[in-house]
Amino acid sequence: MKLKEIIDKLALTSLSNLEERDVQGVFISDMLSDVMTGAKPGNLWLTVQTHTNIVSAANLVDAAAVIVSHGKKVPENTIALANRYHVIILSSTKSTFELAAELIAIGLKNQ
Amino acid sequence: MPKTSCRHTWEMINIHYGFIVTEKCYTCEKISTYYSFEDRPPLDEYREGEHFWNVMESAQSFRFDFKCRACGQIVPFDELMGLMMCTGCDEECQVEKLQKKHAAERTWIYVAFGFLPTDEHRQLSREKISILEDFFNQRRKSSTSRIKIVSQELVKKYATCFGEVIKDVDMLSLKPSEGK
Repeated sequence: MKLKEIIDKLALTSLSNLEERDVQGVFISDMLSDVMTGAKPGNLWLTVQTHTNIVSAANLVDAAAVIVSHGKKVPENTIALANRYHVIILSSTKSTFELAAELIAIGLKNQ
Repeated sequence: MPKTSCRHTWEMINIHYGFIVTEKCYTCEKISTYYSFEDRPPLDEYREGEHFWNVMESAQSFRFDFKCRACGQIVPFDELMGLMMCTGCDEECQVEKLQKKHAAERTWIYVAFGFLPTDEHRQLSREKISILEDFFNQRRKSSTSRIKIVSQELVKKYATCFGEVIKDVDMLSLKPSEGK
């Protein structure tokens, strides 16, 4: 599934520069250790974390995009780093649970 | 490591969660890091010979080894403390220079860190850094970008470097969600 299609269907806000990507599955965790060991390339990564380290981890595991849930405010330095490394950061006021349910409803499956 | 004709395809095995503990001796200011597999990282100060160690930071992280899916070769990675992405904090740093050189082709530079002090711990060999790089690039099927991993020797000054090792520390947000 294309990232822009998911952004439209879930009404996500893009905080960083946007480019089209293929999305293959979803990974949910707030621990970088989990992401580094469990996330697959092309995954959408759902988290409440906003630290600059999410850019490092998302880039390394080749995540399609990071969705920051619960309306958490993402610091400017995280967004600047994401733009430097072409990591896409999206935001939603919905909870991680609600987002997961909506992603399943539009046909995305875990991993 | 023995030479082989196998074109290795690496997978992570033996994944163990634990803590990277950073401590400092308050008499000589020496900094030391080590990996703890305990459920809770140690907090107490202690004396070791002439050193009086105080814990500066404990961060959750993980350790692993690599295994080749084709030939079964296992390569332990217990020298690796963590990986750090360059944030471009110092234009004179070799890592930043490399990042600028490769940015247009979307090759991203990460620094592989070993444990401190570097002269007391075995550090990652070039061969192992190459394996680490191969692992992350072999999985990048959905992207046109590449990962390049370099040795910590290229960091100009570790003490003033703003790059952050990927680990679970300082991750708590003190701000409530917007509008709540």
